[in-house]
Amino acid sequence: MSRLTIQGLSKAFGNVAAVHEIDLDVAEGEFVSLLGPSGCGKTTTLRCVAGLEEPTSGRILFGEKDVTRLPTEDRMIGMVFQSYALFPHMKVRDNIGFGLAMRGVRGSEADKRVAKVLDIVQLKGLEERYPRALSGGQQQRVALARALVTEPALLLLDEPLANLDARLRDEMRFFIRSLQRRLGITTLYVTHDQSESMIMSDRIVVMFGGRIHQIGGPEDIYYRPATGEVANFIGQANMIQATVVESRDGVATVESACGRFSCATGRPLVAGSRVTAMVRPEALRLVNGADRSAFSGQIVARHFLGSTVDYRIVLADGTLISVHALGGNASQTGGRVSVEVDPSKAWLLQ
Amino acid sequence: MKRWLFALPAVLMVALFVLIPYLNIAVMSFRTPSATAIYGPGFTIENYTRVLTDSLYLGLLKDTLLFAVATTSICLVVGFPVAFHLARTNSRWRGLLYAGVLSPLLTGVVIRCFGWIVLLANNGLINQLLGLAGLGPYRLMYNPVGVTIALVHVFLPFMILPIMNSVQSIDPRLGEAARTLGASRARSFARVLLPLSMPGIQSGVILVFVLSASAYIIPMLLGGGQVSTMPTVVVQQLMGSLLWPFGATLALVLSLTALALVGLFGALTRRSMRGVA
Amino acid sequence: MKWFPAPRLCFIAAVYAFLLLPIAIVIPMSLNAGEYLRFPPQGWSLRWYVSFLHSEPFTSAFVRSLGVALIVAVLASIIATPAAIFYVRHLRAGREKFRLTMLAPMLLPEVLTSIALLFFFNQFFFGTQSMAPLVIGHVVITIPFVFLTVTSALYNMPPGVEEAARTLGASARAAFRRVTLPLIKSGIVTGAMLAFIMSFDNVNISLLLKPLGTSTLPIQLFDYLRYDFDPTAAAVSTISLTLTLSVVFLIDRIYGLRAVRF
Repeated sequence: MSRLTIQGLSKAFGNVAAVHEIDLDVAEGEFVSLLGPSGCGKTTTLRCVAGLEEPTSGRILFGEKDVTRLPTEDRMIGMVFQSYALFPHMKVRDNIGFGLAMRGVRGSEADKRVAKVLDIVQLKGLEERYPRALSGGQQQRVALARALVTEPALLLLDEPLANLDARLRDEMRFFIRSLQRRLGITTLYVTHDQSESMIMSDRIVVMFGGRIHQIGGPEDIYYRPATGEVANFIGQANMIQATVVESRDGVATVESACGRFSCATGRPLVAGSRVTAMVRPEALRLVNGADRSAFSGQIVARHFLGSTVDYRIVLADGTLISVHALGGNASQTGGRVSVEVDPSKAWLLQ
Repeated sequence: MKRWLFALPAVLMVALFVLIPYLNIAVMSFRTPSATAIYGPGFTIENYTRVLTDSLYLGLLKDTLLFAVATTSICLVVGFPVAFHLARTNSRWRGLLYAGVLSPLLTGVVIRCFGWIVLLANNGLINQLLGLAGLGPYRLMYNPVGVTIALVHVFLPFMILPIMNSVQSIDPRLGEAARTLGASRARSFARVLLPLSMPGIQSGVILVFVLSASAYIIPMLLGGGQVSTMPTVVVQQLMGSLLWPFGATLALVLSLTALALVGLFGALTRRSMRGVA
Repeated sequence: MKWFPAPRLCFIAAVYAFLLLPIAIVIPMSLNAGEYLRFPPQGWSLRWYVSFLHSEPFTSAFVRSLGVALIVAVLASIIATPAAIFYVRHLRAGREKFRLTMLAPMLLPEVLTSIALLFFFNQFFFGTQSMAPLVIGHVVITIPFVFLTVTSALYNMPPGVEEAARTLGASARAAFRRVTLPLIKSGIVTGAMLAFIMSFDNVNISLLLKPLGTSTLPIQLFDYLRYDFDPTAAAVSTISLTLTLSVVFLIDRIYGLRAVRF
């Protein structure tokens, strides 16, 4: 296993910069996701790490070793492609054994290792099948087995679950994550699905337009997004414009057009500066009756979602906010309510 | 970058044995014909003036192009339904049907013409069958009729296959979408399917037109010397006499005229291919 | 099949009859015991096949056609396959032009190409005294077919398999040898078989480029049909037919006719 270090990675295709100055450190055994909308450069970054794309500038290191100029086949990686890329003309046994054959491991030794890894991915006994005779989920696990059998230093996955149906995707997320934990293999995982990255990752790298906006754990990213794009990409966010009244010990009191409330903040603020407060819908509490505290407004829509109820509320200055209340809440459309803010879940954006 | 070396032999072959020879024909057409050598001294445009002013050759050109137009039209009318059926059918005979269209292409034009001779001769199969019904015998061979029938037969697959490919790439749900929007089957066909098959139709028409305009064997065998087209005259000339520059001119005039017509067709149908090709 | 199913099916059946009857009819003709091309045949006999075997022009033409077709198939495959790989995997700029160049011999009228080569070889080389011009002409005509089948096979490869092989430790050459080549083998063989058939059946190129005193089977048949009219022609045709259709059958059995895509 090894650490992965990316320094100042940039990749341009012609005049288009797909990836710009990426810096990232992945610790040994860590599971890191590259998360972002399509076109944000996450796959390009992954392919540069794999050696399938040549960086325009920057360095890539596996542990202490600079692999930037090293060809793909010498990098000792395992990669799972979105389309699985199983060799259709080879049986499962030869697909998985391919990496071993390339490294000179053949015969009974190879067969043993193939059988072992098939067991790990719970596909025991399928050595003699051809890929076309396998279901999507089975093909996916064969692709995984093929990448793992050579015990690579680094595991790279490019949206491997994108072609599976929702149920299977769910199962596979937990499967891949627990497998990765068990093997302790350093992993870089590309996805556009934010809940997927939150479930699976130790840390998430959120990317937009070829740049990293934030690196952090799931809760970090969720409660303390670095930018508006990150806030909007992960879950829902209410954006409220406000002015700082005072700030102390990481809590700021701000005044907005519809009331005064407290927010958490990661930086020192000057009174009077204009900020944007990001408040998660579940950080707001409905209090019946007007004028209790903080904001007041009128409910314009109510959607029952099962475990929660989504309320759309228009505030005094016209701002539309979304509040998630517990399923039992009986407030109805048209009613006037006050909204309380939980300051630990309100965050001031840079 | 030594990767391009892979393509070198092929590119050389085409450049050396297609490009240059074709340019050479063009040059040849401007040379003076000679009865004793491939060409005589000097250059001249007399070959062209001769072709373009002599009613014999103009008539030949017209006849050749008429054959091409007739063949193409019939192939289009006959071939489109077959192509459409082939593209959309789910029957298990599909492979066989496809083979049925492809195999004739692989059996050689002489054999196919021979089959038609057997069928179309005065005492051939068709006349014999018609005779049973008290009809005929009709002269179906050694005249333009026989030549056209054989032309259509030989080149029909070249119309069917491109159209089939085109229709196959049309998402069947497009027709369904049109129907949900209120279009009848006929209108859905006319306004969705037909425009989207235009690339295939265009390819087929161009292919069949050019092929039938330049056909040599079919008019020779089915025409029996009674039907002359530009290619038959040119080849006779080249094999029989040494007036090669003039033969070159004839060949070029035919080709350029055919090309011009194809270009015209392409321009006319370009409008209907907007957003499709 | 919702539009007038019955008349439509009849029409389509008629078209298929039109396409296949002239070819099919040659076979019973060749077994005709009688002298003339009369249908129905007057008894069955193999005499016309015997006549073919005794005809030196026909048998030598057959052997020559066979030999040429084999050489052409091999040459066309060797030349066109690398070009196809280059086109699909490595060419970045000018793709359409390259493709057009590769397909040009197929798109240009064969008669014109034949004339062009006749002039070319007589003006700049030794004329058509050897078989070389004919073989070259056939190869040039068949290169597009191999190019098409191999590019088709390349496009039909599952995406990413070559990259996957690289991530598993295969060098570019090893990936080509162990992954790409096996997967395009069907395309190459199909192309070669098509080239064989096209060369064997070819008339236009052979007509003008054949050395004096030699002949290929289609040309021999062509000459024969202009002047003679006996079922020997039918026997010859049937033999030729059987050969080419066997090759087609082979292609279909091994790789499926869908591999032949234009």
